[in-house]
Amino acid sequence: MAEKQSTPLEKAARLLDLVPYISTHQGVALSELASEFGISESELLSDLNTLWMCGLPGYTPLELIDLEFESGYVSIRNAEILQKVRLLTKDELVILLVGLDLLIKSIDPKRNDLLSAITDLQTKIKTIIGDIATIAPIVNSSYRAIVLNAITSRKNLQISYHSLIRDELTNREITPIELMVDHGYEVLQAYCHQVGAYRTFRLDSIAEIAISGIQQPLIEKPKADEAFQMQIAISNRIRSTLERFRITASQDAAAKSGSHTAFSFSQDWLIRSAMSTLAATEVLSPPNSRVELARKCRKTLDLYESAVFGKIT
Amino acid sequence: MSRKTERLVNLTIALLATKRYLTKSEIFRTVDGYEGTPEGKERMFERDKDDLRNLGIVIEVGTFDPLFEDESGYRIKPENYQFQLGELDSKDIALLSLAAEAWRGAALDSSALSALVKLHAIGIETDSEALPDLAPAIISKDTNLALAISAITSRTVLSFSYLSETLQEESRVLEPYAVASRYGHWYLFGMDLDRKDLRSFRLDRILGTLSTKGRAGNYEIPQSFSVESHLLETRSQQMAELYLRSGRALALRSRSTEIFDEKTPLGWERVAIEYRDEDRMAEEILWYGEDAVVLKPVTLRNSVMESLQAGVIRYG
Repeated sequence: MAEKQSTPLEKAARLLDLVPYISTHQGVALSELASEFGISESELLSDLNTLWMCGLPGYTPLELIDLEFESGYVSIRNAEILQKVRLLTKDELVILLVGLDLLIKSIDPKRNDLLSAITDLQTKIKTIIGDIATIAPIVNSSYRAIVLNAITSRKNLQISYHSLIRDELTNREITPIELMVDHGYEVLQAYCHQVGAYRTFRLDSIAEIAISGIQQPLIEKPKADEAFQMQIAISNRIRSTLERFRITASQDAAAKSGSHTAFSFSQDWLIRSAMSTLAATEVLSPPNSRVELARKCRKTLDLYESAVFGKIT
Repeated sequence: MSRKTERLVNLTIALLATKRYLTKSEIFRTVDGYEGTPEGKERMFERDKDDLRNLGIVIEVGTFDPLFEDESGYRIKPENYQFQLGELDSKDIALLSLAAEAWRGAALDSSALSALVKLHAIGIETDSEALPDLAPAIISKDTNLALAISAITSRTVLSFSYLSETLQEESRVLEPYAVASRYGHWYLFGMDLDRKDLRSFRLDRILGTLSTKGRAGNYEIPQSFSVESHLLETRSQQMAELYLRSGRALALRSRSTEIFDEKTPLGWERVAIEYRDEDRMAEEILWYGEDAVVLKPVTLRNSVMESLQAGVIRYG
């Protein structure tokens, strides 16, 4: 980790927090203290040396904070004034409020003890900062824990997966490799034993998950593969349509008009996206995609025009 | 560098320890680190006060005797300095720690770390066995999320450039009220000062970095504002009826309720689905092509059919 120089203010904040921490953890190891505060041991020593110079006006040994950190362990005395844990800043309260939202949605409804504890904490926080932040998570935190657990213990996973592209729910045995973020979504790279190939699974599309007993040798990471392309022209709802095709407006040279290129590992995804945005998009190439879209449009429109679906009842 | 740090800590100790207000001259005389010309000390002290307030430390200003025009003094009340969530048990600490952990490596990593340090400094052993195995995570690394949150908590007006549906860059000036994450995206809510109305903005459509305008504390968030209820109110729900091919259109099916109707063709189900945005709903129905046919409302059905007719002409 590259060492970032703290500003005097950051350092002061840390000193104010070090005092209560050491007071409740007398004799704590320097290494442990450094990692708790996310700094190097040399920066911690510099902090403690500064703290030594602090105290009540007068600044005689009677008033100064007394630290002992010779042999790799730290103790503190004469720091009663700063001993109380500092109040949480409003930004800290916001992240706690949002973090608790994540938990409440992932805890078994039967754990009433935990759920009511969370609600009480959230109510306390909201009385201080107001109802100003919330999250509806799309991934269950216990599923993420199972995935991480399987990766570290090199176990296989059994998942029930909802593929939006293929519009089907399948059960698969997979060997998880890595959790990543792809286009703003959390995805799991894994080897799928059903298809005998590497696949990427969106975490929010996993309907059920469990660790299976099977252990796997280390598997190499697959290469990123976005093999398919589509040229499109967009006539309206430009921003939403670019977002659907995962084209970043600012990155795309032809952002304001003309044609854009969409990439995907799945041809089916490109076709479905083009169907979705029929009102705004024209696919320019490849030609076989145009043929496929013509077929789909005709078939679907036939349904609307047929006797069975044509009449609105 | 460390002289300033020392001075800030010493000032905090002195203001916390005093039972009465300390005047500026008393502070300059007794607190270590105030040196130089009178104007220099004055400037130093003003900056130090701002710095401590930025750490969330409340410095009170008052006089010794309210009856006389006296020199004002300063102090920090211990009850305003210390941890404010009251008595917590080990379960509370474990839950709050897990909540903070969700932000590690994300947009508010440093606030997560400082919150964790404070929670651990309380010195209550947490029993991690008492909690189920959870790995909460916020994945946004958007620096604008951190900027938006601190603008909200400090009541600071924001200005930014926003990408419109037609890819125009619009400049916006906003009194930010709240942030919320829905469907995997973060939104910023507030009073749009040009449009004089409550508006929401998707954070990833903001171009560049949010900038602050004016001083902190320039407006108030209305007492009645609640982001939860605002989200529920913004758009009214509508109801669509569709035929879905059996075993297909799973995502639509999962949030629908089935309508039993003997006229339903074999191999199909008739369902009702709530939706908010008609354009989005039409796009979602078209995603499933010949596996979903919308019946009601007529406007939605017509818009889907028009798209299909356009497609037949364009690609046919």
